[in-house]
Amino acid sequence: MKHFTLNGLIGGVLVAILLTVAAIGLIWTPYDPMKLSFTARLAAPSAAHWLGTDEFGRDVASRLMIGARASVWIGCLTVGFAAIVGTLIGMISGYARGWIDGVIMAINNALLAFPGILLALGLLAVFGANQYGIIFALGIAYTPSMARVVRGAVLSLREREFIEASKIMGNSEIYTMLRHILPNCLAPITVLSTSMFGWAILSESALSFLGLGVPPPAPTWGNMLAAGRPFIEQAVWLGLFPGLCIALTLLGINLLGDALRDKLDPRMRGLK
Amino acid sequence: MTQEKLLSLRNLTLEVAHRGVEVVKDVSFDLEAGEIFGIVGESGSGKSLATRALISLLPPAIRKIAGQVIYKGRDITSMSEADLRRMRGAEIGLVFQEPMTSLNPSMTIGRQLEEGLTLHTNDTPAERRKKILAMLERVGIREPERALSAYPHEFSGGMRQRIMLASVMLLKPALLIADEPTTALDAVIQRDVMELMVELTKAEGTAVLLISHDLPMVARYTSRIVVMEKGAIVEAGTTEQILETPQHAYTRKLLSSLPIRGEVRTIDATSAPMVSAHDIVVDYPGRKSLLKKGVPKRALHGVSIDIHEGEVVALVGGSGSGKTTLGRTIAGLVKETEGEILFKGRKRDADWQDYRLNCQMVFQDPYSSLDPRMTILALVEEALRLVPGIDRAAKTKRAYETLEEVGLGPEYAPRYPHELSGGQRQRVAIARAIARRPRFLIADEPVSALDVTVRAQVLTLFSDLQKRYGFSCLFISHDLGVVEQVADRVVVMQDGRIIEQGDRDTIFDTPKEAYTRRLLSAIPALDLNETGGVKLKWRLEN
Repeated sequence: MKHFTLNGLIGGVLVAILLTVAAIGLIWTPYDPMKLSFTARLAAPSAAHWLGTDEFGRDVASRLMIGARASVWIGCLTVGFAAIVGTLIGMISGYARGWIDGVIMAINNALLAFPGILLALGLLAVFGANQYGIIFALGIAYTPSMARVVRGAVLSLREREFIEASKIMGNSEIYTMLRHILPNCLAPITVLSTSMFGWAILSESALSFLGLGVPPPAPTWGNMLAAGRPFIEQAVWLGLFPGLCIALTLLGINLLGDALRDKLDPRMRGLK
Repeated sequence: MTQEKLLSLRNLTLEVAHRGVEVVKDVSFDLEAGEIFGIVGESGSGKSLATRALISLLPPAIRKIAGQVIYKGRDITSMSEADLRRMRGAEIGLVFQEPMTSLNPSMTIGRQLEEGLTLHTNDTPAERRKKILAMLERVGIREPERALSAYPHEFSGGMRQRIMLASVMLLKPALLIADEPTTALDAVIQRDVMELMVELTKAEGTAVLLISHDLPMVARYTSRIVVMEKGAIVEAGTTEQILETPQHAYTRKLLSSLPIRGEVRTIDATSAPMVSAHDIVVDYPGRKSLLKKGVPKRALHGVSIDIHEGEVVALVGGSGSGKTTLGRTIAGLVKETEGEILFKGRKRDADWQDYRLNCQMVFQDPYSSLDPRMTILALVEEALRLVPGIDRAAKTKRAYETLEEVGLGPEYAPRYPHELSGGQRQRVAIARAIARRPRFLIADEPVSALDVTVRAQVLTLFSDLQKRYGFSCLFISHDLGVVEQVADRVVVMQDGRIIEQGDRDTIFDTPKEAYTRRLLSAIPALDLNETGGVKLKWRLEN
């Protein structure tokens, strides 16, 4: 049996590079990402500045590294929020069924009807445009999909005989949920979380591009892309590199997510 | 006889591609026109793969490495895909095991039956309709006109299998391949469908290749049999030879695994019963719609049953008889609408804790009754979690002991359910149920999902444990053969009511109700002879 596919490997390597760069960015960058230098404005990529400099002479490579850190951080917290809250809601809804399920799913479906980015925009207007505002807004926007996936898994699990066996042993409902249902939901939760991580990074970039994300001068890939737009004819690297970072990261996450799904979801086994 | 062979299989060998594991080894047999031929084997014997090769419908992972399939003088394995398509259906028909999945759920019966005729004949629509209606009537579908526009889900499993049979027989094929055609059906319906199949094929002169794990069933209808084990034919001969003078050890093992009547035990029925259910009524809520209040569906109509200390009471009946509902109600998984359940003479719900410790259950499907994310040891230990008065170390020790008792050594403890075979999993399920030393066990079809030889082992294990610990047991099964082996008393249910009950021997030898007689006529009585063979006698037949 093959343990990974080529696609999964490429995805894993891309994600690993992202995480490494973000980690290095915590302790070292080639230049101070905030330092202005009027002698080196809009410098093309060179030995001194690998990826060039922006309109204030700040080093693009250093800023991308710091931006990677922001992306990973926002992605992790958003997914963490959506996974925990969504799983909780989904499990309660799927296990209780009846009117509780009806009410929860009605609200959930109403939230799902909004495009995620629109919902996040609205929530950002309430929480204010900063890093934690984004995390909270995106987290709330993604929770309904997680809740729905978990509910589906719980609904099919609770009909299995081992759940009845647990009841026959006299185990409480809470114990049955935590010991038997939750561990069996982990596969779909992991798979969805991986793709959510990608969506979160993309949405954060989009929000920052629109000026509703992390405010300048703190660099994120999205606001770097936005800042590079007016100079696209003189200094193409300003838009090109942040764009490439976003595209490669998403590609990596999607490939990794597909590989994980094939590995964790037994229904996908044997199709190849 | 110098009859032309309809089909011959010559030295067929199949392997799993890229891994070189041979799953069918050098299999040869001949089939004559109009005969009924049986292939018997357990799961993994290669019987289904061998027959799929007959019509070149092998799964992509399986590759033919040698052999020929000669049908009416032509080698099927070298035919073009277009020739094969012309032959499938028109010449060779197939009936599969699962009537639930072999009909397309989104097509009406009429359209599905018409498909084959449109493809293989030049009939006009009116002729097709006439043929279909006649065939539906012949397979015993009431109101065939209405059935044409109905969908598969509107029919029961037995009816669907009849429809499947109708769709195959419409084309009057020369050969019908029936792969476990009745395994998913209960005993009575199984027999009806088989009789119908035999009657139809005899009338059309169609040969039948009957593939099943159920040796008595195959023996009943076939003239010749091959027995397969691990991909190879171990024995071939006339049905009588195979049954009465088996040559190969595996055939003898299969025959000795058939359930035979167990010993008569005396049960003290004068004392108060261990478990007693009085006038149990269970209603399932009906489907509600916006304007209509749901009409509840009554599954049990006032059923009473007593189970004494150390007694094994079998609950038998066809699907839909309410036997499983009664078991689940007594277990406390379904709430009774009316009636009361007593345990040790007191109301069951008065001391729920005690009842939960003393009433355990073994489920039918060992693939679904064990949590796939827990190790075998954890599964058995969990059963002891709520038992008061023993500490953690003692619980682990007891779990190991219990596993040992069901024949699973300590090397199984750290494994996960998917690493075990079906029989081993059912052993784990039994270990989990008896670890608490319950006084009462409910076993819902505990061996229905197992192979014949494994079923015999698990039944023996169950009887041994029952004797050792003396628990009372409610044994739910549709298989009367199994019941004859383990039960002290038999309760027959039909349509949510108990229609007959009594000692096992009384019920099996002198049944009163017509339904009980029908149930019994579906299973053979076995006479063992000294060569390890058996003589099958079909009960209540003249």
